[in-house]
Parts: sequence; C-alpha cells; structure tokens
Amino acid sequence: MRKLFFYVPLALFLLLTVFLLSGLFSDPRERESASLNKALPEFALADLMQPQQIWTPEQLHGETFLLNVWGTWCPTCNAELGYLTELRKQGVKIVGLYYELPRDPTFDAPFSLKALQQDVAQKLQQNGDPYQFNILDLERRLSLDLGVSGAPETFLIDSNGIVRAHHIGDINPQIWRAKLAPLYQQWSQP
Amino acid sequence: MIVEAGQLALTFAFALSLLLAIIPLYGSFVANQRMLLLAKPLALGQFLFCLLAMLALIYAFRTNDFTVVNVAQNSSSTLPWYYQITASFGSHEGSMLLWVLMLAGWTALVAQFSKALPLLLLGRILGIMGVICVGFIAFSLFMSNPFERSLPFFPVEGRDLNPLLQDFGMILHPPTLYMGYVGFAVAFAFAIAALMGGRFDSVWARWVRPWALAAWLFLTLGIMLGSWWAYNELGWGGWWFWDPVENASFMPWLAGTALIHSLAVTEKRGTFKSWTVLLALAAFALSLVGAFLVRSGVLVSVHSFATDPGRGMYLLVFLLLVVGGSLLLYGMRMNSVRSQARYQLFSREMMLWGNNIFLLTACLIVFLGTLFPLFHKELGLGSISIGEPFFNQMFYYLTIPFALMLGLGPWVRWKQQQFTPLVKPLGLVLVAALILALGVLASMQSVQANLALLGMLLGAWVGVSALAEVMLRMRQFGSVTQGLTKLNASHYGMTLAHIGFAVLVIGVAMTKTYTEERDVRMQEGDTATLAGYQFTLVDVYELDGPNYGGQAAELDVRKDGRYVTHLHAEKRFYRIQRTIMTEAAVHARLSRDLYVSLGEELPGNAWALRIQVKPFVRWIWLGGLLMSLGALLALADKRYRRKTPPATKQEVANA
Repeated sequence: MRKLFFYVPLALFLLLTVFLLSGLFSDPRERESASLNKALPEFALADLMQPQQIWTPEQLHGETFLLNVWGTWCPTCNAELGYLTELRKQGVKIVGLYYELPRDPTFDAPFSLKALQQDVAQKLQQNGDPYQFNILDLERRLSLDLGVSGAPETFLIDSNGIVRAHHIGDINPQIWRAKLAPLYQQWSQP
Repeated sequence: MIVEAGQLALTFAFALSLLLAIIPLYGSFVANQRMLLLAKPLALGQFLFCLLAMLALIYAFRTNDFTVVNVAQNSSSTLPWYYQITASFGSHEGSMLLWVLMLAGWTALVAQFSKALPLLLLGRILGIMGVICVGFIAFSLFMSNPFERSLPFFPVEGRDLNPLLQDFGMILHPPTLYMGYVGFAVAFAFAIAALMGGRFDSVWARWVRPWALAAWLFLTLGIMLGSWWAYNELGWGGWWFWDPVENASFMPWLAGTALIHSLAVTEKRGTFKSWTVLLALAAFALSLVGAFLVRSGVLVSVHSFATDPGRGMYLLVFLLLVVGGSLLLYGMRMNSVRSQARYQLFSREMMLWGNNIFLLTACLIVFLGTLFPLFHKELGLGSISIGEPFFNQMFYYLTIPFALMLGLGPWVRWKQQQFTPLVKPLGLVLVAALILALGVLASMQSVQANLALLGMLLGAWVGVSALAEVMLRMRQFGSVTQGLTKLNASHYGMTLAHIGFAVLVIGVAMTKTYTEERDVRMQEGDTATLAGYQFTLVDVYELDGPNYGGQAAELDVRKDGRYVTHLHAEKRFYRIQRTIMTEAAVHARLSRDLYVSLGEELPGNAWALRIQVKPFVRWIWLGGLLMSLGALLALADKRYRRKTPPATKQEVANA
C-alpha cells in the first residue's frame, strides 16, 4: 500500500493531462447556451415601433423564426442587417429583440422612445430592414433570461416556442450555411 | 545580418543544450569524469549563445527591422526606445526567448556557483537542466521563432506594441516573473538528481535551499510588480483579479512557499523528505502548467497570447514527458526513503507541517478554481465561470487559521515544546496586537468591525509576534547588541518575510473595507468631494505623445481647505493600435492612495471621472517587497557559502 501511495501524484497528473488535452481541441469561447431546448422564458414586452402592441411568447408560436438580439449602438449588428435582409427576402422570418444599453442616471440623457424609434428607422433605412417587428427589451430582462452576453446574438425558435439554437456573434453567409441553415431546415419542417 | 546571427546563435544554443542533456547524464551512469566535467563549459556556452540571440532580437527591435514578423507586429518606429527594448519580450515569441535566456542563465549560475557540490551530482543537475533547456529552446526555435522574416513583402511601419504593455511596470514585471518561474527548475533538477542518486539528507537540503529561495524571491517580486502594474495601467484601481494567468503565477508561488518551509525541516531535522521532494517537483510542474495554460489558449484570459493548438500540443507533450517522467521516478524511488526523526505533536516540525497543509490547500483551491470551468466543460456539463467571490471567500477562511499559526510558529522549538513558557510572551503579544489594531481602527474615520478589524488583528498578531520573537532570541545571547550578530541572516530573513505577510494582510483588509469610489461628471472648475478630500478639475487639454494622442486632466486636491497635491490623469489614444488607455493619476502615501482616472467626454464640455480613495493599498505591495527582502536576507546566510559543509550530527549518525 505504502508503495502505491507514492504514485498518487503521477495518477493525478495524468488525469489532469487528459483534461488539458481535450481542452486543447475545444474552443473556450464557445458556450453551451443555458436556454437551449427550453421554451422561451415568459415575457410581455412592447413593440418598438407600435408600443401599444404587447408581445408574449404565445403570440410567437406557429412558425419557426430567428430572434435576433441587436441595437443601433452595436456596429456588428448594423453590419449584419444587410445579410439578414437578404435572408428575409428568401423567406426566413426574423424578429428583432432590441437590446437597449443600460443608462447612467448622472451622465446619460433620459430614455426617449421617440429618439430611439427615429434612430432605428434611420439605421434600417440605410442598411435594410430584416425584421417582421422589433420587441423592445428596455430592462434587458428577457435578454438576461435567454443568456445573452452581448449583441449581436441570434436564437432559432421553433414553431412551439422552443429555443433550438443560440448563435453568439454576427450572421454572415458562411455561418448561415455551415451552422444555422441546416438547423433552420430541420426545425421548420412540419 | 544580425537577425540571422541571432537565429544562428539560438541554433548553437540548441546544439549545446542537446550535448548538455546527454553527455553529463550519460557520464554520471558510466562514472566518466571527463564527461561530467564537460557539464560546466556546456552550460556556460549555452547561456552565452542564448544571450547573443536575445541581443540580436533587441537589435532588430531597436533598428526597426520590420522585415522580422515579430518586430513588425509588436513595435513601431514611433515607439520610445525603452519600450522598443521591452517589446522584444512583449510577444509570445519574444517572451519565449526571454524564458529560454533565463533558463540558460539559471543553468549557468548553478554551474558557476556550485563548487561545493560533488561532481557527479552537479553533472546530473546540469544535465537535467539541459533536458529542460532542450525542450524550450526547440520550442522557441521550431514552434515560435522570434526571428522569422516576412521577405520579400514587408510593412514599412510596425503595428506597435500593445499599449497595455507600454508602462514602466512592464519593463520589470516579465523578466522578474520569468526569473521566478524558471528558477524553480533548479530545485526541480536538484530533486531529480537526488531521486536518481537516492540521497536526500540535510546536506542536500542545504544545497537546494538558496536556489529555492532565489527563485521564490523573484517570483514574489514578479507577482507584486504585476499587481502594481495592473493597478496603474488598467485604470480601475484593482490590484488582483483572480485571472487565470495571475492564478498560474500564484500556484507555483504557493507551492514554492511551502517548499522553502519544508526544506527548513529537511535541513534541520532530516525529515519531511518525500514531502520536500514532491514540493520541489510541484513548484516547477506548476510553472510549466502555467506556461501551458497561458500559451495554449485552453483558458480565456486577458493575458493570453495568440493561441495555436500546435504550440499547445507541443507544450502538453513536453509537460507530460518532464512532469510525468519525474513523478514516475518519484513513485519508483521514494518508497525506499525513510525519515527517522521523532517529534511531538507540539513542535516546530508540526507547525511547519501545518504551514504546508494550509499553503497546499490554498494552491489546490486556486488550481480547482482556475481549472474547474475546463473540467466542467470537458465533462459535457456546460460552461461555467468561477470568479472573484469564490476565491475571496476561500482565502478569507484560509487566512484566519494560517495567520494565527504563523504568529505562533517561530516560537516553537524543534522536537518538542512545552506550552507554559510560551503563555506569558504570547499573551503579551496578543495584548499588544489588540491595542495596535484597535488604535489604528479608531484613527480611521469610520470604525467598521468585520473585515478591517479581523485583518488588523491578524496582521498585528503576526507582525508583533515576529518582532517580539526575534527580540527575545537576541536577549538569550546576553545583550541585544551581542544577539544582533549571533542570530544568523536566515532568521532575520524569516522575521522580515513574516512581517511582510502581516503588512500584506493588513493592506488587503483595510483596502477592501475602506476604499471609497465615485464616478462624477465634472466641468473645468467643478469640485467633487470624497472621503474628506476635495478634487477640483483645473484643466483638460489635448495630449501629443510620440505614438499617442488623447486628453489630460489636471486636478488639485485639497483637504479641509489645505492644498494636498496636484494630479495629472491621462486618457491616451494610441494611434497605430487604435486603442484607448487610461493612465490613472495616483498620489501615494503609506496611509492612502488618491486615484483618479479620466473617462469619456460628456456633452456640455464635461468629463466623466472616476475618483477613488484607497487607504493602505500601498501596504499590499510593501508586504510583497518585505517578503522578497526577507528572502534576500536569508540568501545572505553564511552557511550556504561554506565550501565543505561540516557534517551534522544526523549525518555522522547515518555514516
């Protein structure tokens, strides 16, 4: 027994190298989304352009769609608007989740919906409008529940309102073809 | 031309390291004296060529030779000359060459300053250092060559050094830290050589101690400088972030601290042998794991170098060979080593054993906290992150018993200690510590119990106890002046390092409790008040640096109407890398820092500023500095420099 005792450090070290080896071949930045394969979290949020319209998860059932988290303040989001618009033309349903930045009460001007609507309208005019409509997540509560870490991020939601994919970063032709298009095909089949 | 010469020098160094790794080790097994004698010139030659390679790289940076990829990506002609030199180790390739140079440097030092060592042992030690050198020089030469050219197409201007690294702290931090990391290779080589020969006695421990101390000294300084750099350069006044790379340097430090304490037991009492050897292996193994974590991209960190799985794979295989091989040897050899010393439950041995247990628990916590996200993910359980709260809480609980024991430890004798003689002096120490702690807290503006009180108490307990112990020992030699010379340098070193720890604990607790922070919007002429200080924004103007522009803010600070100081905070925009850096304005005093960083320009000619008052934050680095000084003092001990160490009773008994 005493003899084997001195091999314990070696055994522990070998176990460690197994993890280091497998860690070497996986991307540390890639995260498994916590919201994956779960229903959309409960929410009741106003439409960005028509605030009297309130969206809830049930109203989104029935069709597979992309939920694109974005903001006009985010250059990458603005850059992907063009390609997303192309996708819309191909018949992909895209809903925007407008991610508003937190405001500092001392420094920032108070929130103005009107100014934001103008800003959004102008950006969509310039770059293309891929969205059926935009949900305004002013408090970022839905984004938080979905596990959004920044913008842009895109979720694939199936017709039953279940989150089927979570993509962090922009959508470009390569990403769409390699990662999201197959999933979209799979989950839009009846 | 010079660059090719550098490449050639590195190639020569590689050839010499190969010879060093083979000839003396082979010679030690066939008992060939000539082969063993070759070790020293090979080690010195290897260092010389590594030095030439580094100088060639620095030359390439100083002459703005943008045909060299490394130079083009990490320097520019507008970079100040001193940063052009530090840029030579700012990249992965350059820092690897620095690492190699340090390793060869330590090898040369061992070759030069080990006249007392038996030839056979020295040959083996240098041979093992040679094996490690082979691995790293080959890595530098073949996997991350710092001299690579991009001919025939090369840029006319470089991409500049990462602005984060353009700081005075960065000139000193990497070399010191690497000296520490790599320095543990010496203790490692001593341990392997001892495992080969089967000799682990007091003499062996006395040979290793100065090398372990020297490595620890550099590592302590390096970590401290890194913390100081982060405080000045990252602009939000933090000094430790539990970032994976910080943890990677903290783990060998903890193991190294355990090692220097365990070595004391092995030297004085001839016991704890298997423990000491394992720690010597672990300290360097953790340095290697750290190097792997930083350079392979397994963990995400602000420090990570550009990642490349090929390099990661190489380092992993190297790690497996070196550490796996040494632990295998440990398993095979160690079971025949017996420690025969006897000691009671209350004895210096047990106190140091406790020290090791706490330090290794701390090391394990850092290790698990750093790697748990990786384990979790690779087991398919999804991504998680472990942050500051976990580490802070764990270290909070660990520090309490550790500091209590540290105050007691130096008083306790080897073998056996009676309780009663200690009651009176330690009682007095306790009372003095209480008075000191409450006195300092009463002088603060608000008395907050919990953390500050605890930290002050523990710090005062450790500090006062260390001082009282050394005073009392001096008295045992008659008068204090007589005792002053009788006590050996390592005893003073220990006392100083323990006081350093006390200072560090006080600094951490006080800073955590009393830091005040405010984000303010200011126009020129505005005044903001924080912790009794009035900060007035006097002026904001445009900056024009060699490779940056930006703005600078001038502030006057007053307290109760009296002028305290003038602060100058900058917000730099580095033109080539297009990044914004904050250069915080710091006014440092032992009792507090005033810290101002300049933020964004706001509408209406106003600026966002972050103002902090951080009491006792200097004490954190002062503590680290005292610990390093303690190690330096201990290194000065005469007994490490005796040519032939006199045999101890233990050895006579063994003979």
